Amino acid sequence: MSPHDEYEVTVVGGGSAGVAAALAASRQGARTLLIERQQLLGGMGTNAMVHTFCGLFHPDVSQGPQWLNPGIPTELGTALMQRGGMEEPDLMGRVYVLRHRPADLASLTAELCAAEPHLTVLTGAEVTALSPGWTITLNDRLIHSRAVIDTTGDALLARLLGHSHWDLATSARLYRPAYVWSFQGLSAILDEPLRLHVAALIVRAVKAGALPAAALGTTLRASPTRGEVFVSTDLEAGGDHWDPLDLDQRLHLESEGRALAQAVWDFLRSSHPSFTTITPPVLPVHAGIRESARWRGDYVLSADDLIRSRRFEDEAALAGWPLEMRETARGPRFRYFDQPEPAGIPASCLRARSLPGMFFAGRCLSCDHEALASVRVMGTCLATGQAAGQMAAAFRP
Amino acid sequence: MPADLSADSVLSLILEQQIIESAEPVSVTTDLFALGLDSMAMMQLLLHIEDRFGIAIAPGEMTRDRFATAAALAEFLAGKQT
Repeated sequence: MSPHDEYEVTVVGGGSAGVAAALAASRQGARTLLIERQQLLGGMGTNAMVHTFCGLFHPDVSQGPQWLNPGIPTELGTALMQRGGMEEPDLMGRVYVLRHRPADLASLTAELCAAEPHLTVLTGAEVTALSPGWTITLNDRLIHSRAVIDTTGDALLARLLGHSHWDLATSARLYRPAYVWSFQGLSAILDEPLRLHVAALIVRAVKAGALPAAALGTTLRASPTRGEVFVSTDLEAGGDHWDPLDLDQRLHLESEGRALAQAVWDFLRSSHPSFTTITPPVLPVHAGIRESARWRGDYVLSADDLIRSRRFEDEAALAGWPLEMRETARGPRFRYFDQPEPAGIPASCLRARSLPGMFFAGRCLSCDHEALASVRVMGTCLATGQAAGQMAAAFRP
Repeated sequence: MPADLSADSVLSLILEQQIIESAEPVSVTTDLFALGLDSMAMMQLLLHIEDRFGIAIAPGEMTRDRFATAAALAEFLAGKQT
């Protein structure tokens, strides 16, 4: 065994939570390894082209946008705004949202990680086995690590350890995945009248049989780059039989998403003069998964905790995004906190007493299905990831 | 017989079809956009309006003002019916 395979903290999954965890742990001086199965860091915010950071700002919007969590969420959010040339986040209804370009997030996360002398990044690597202590089996090597953080989004490490460590909502309730793609060359400003016009055109096309019914879940959003548009469609993905951990279903989701992108692109180009010059679709690496397996930690955060803005003594991060439930592809259902005040996420949602040295953050932290509708968003994932990174760096057996 | 195009019937359609869901009471003058009405939900609403009231809305007619409240939408639809 080469000495290079020994780490103090190993983070599995290089999305928002994982990057924040790896930066936080390495900045505390821990020899840290970040493992990512794709080649780009940033997770859903790069590979699935999810182009909005939610959960970065205080839920009380009356004072203007206020960063909710100090440290990496504020640092990364500020840097993304600079790269995108954004002066302010967008006020959407009752919440602030930060739009970003996926390529900016990919390069920014890579640069931030490369700047940390105690951090090693290993992309294109799959974890295939895990044993307490901790030993992680990758495609081609073994890693020994004092502490491990699961930021895979799918609770991969819990699933490798066994059934008692994870939960998965029933298929019918799982939040639906989204397929996001983009094009350039729109010759008009994508303002609200144009977005509503396009929505009505799509409804007509579906009624006439020119577009599949799945196109009804489509929304258009302007990128920070002029003329660039993101097209996002929530998909039913097998409805009552959807299983995000099933390879065949994931493959089917991807092909449905690609076919829909092509159909919507063909339709837009031929149905409205502002779209005749648009470039062919830029496809994501994969669809955006909103919910799959979650860890069962020492505490299970509930929707009630969030809605009542409950605070905790062992608070690790703050949540401020409303419960954004997407159990169908027909649009979100929002449940706002009773008061415009943040809720706490306790450290006990990021660890399990029976597994010393194991931490988890991001979409697979310990919460119930309803609470996940809030804490799954990327801004909150940055905050819980940062907290898990600090906890893991401080862990001693 | 023409469909009942009162503000109340439009609001019932919106709530029955779960176009918006709200923990707070919703009246015919409540701002639907503040409750989360977005372009995706408006697409569903368009389909249901056509099914229930037999009224097709042209793409150019789909504006924020006409969909802002159940009362405004009912008035717009009634105008199209006559």
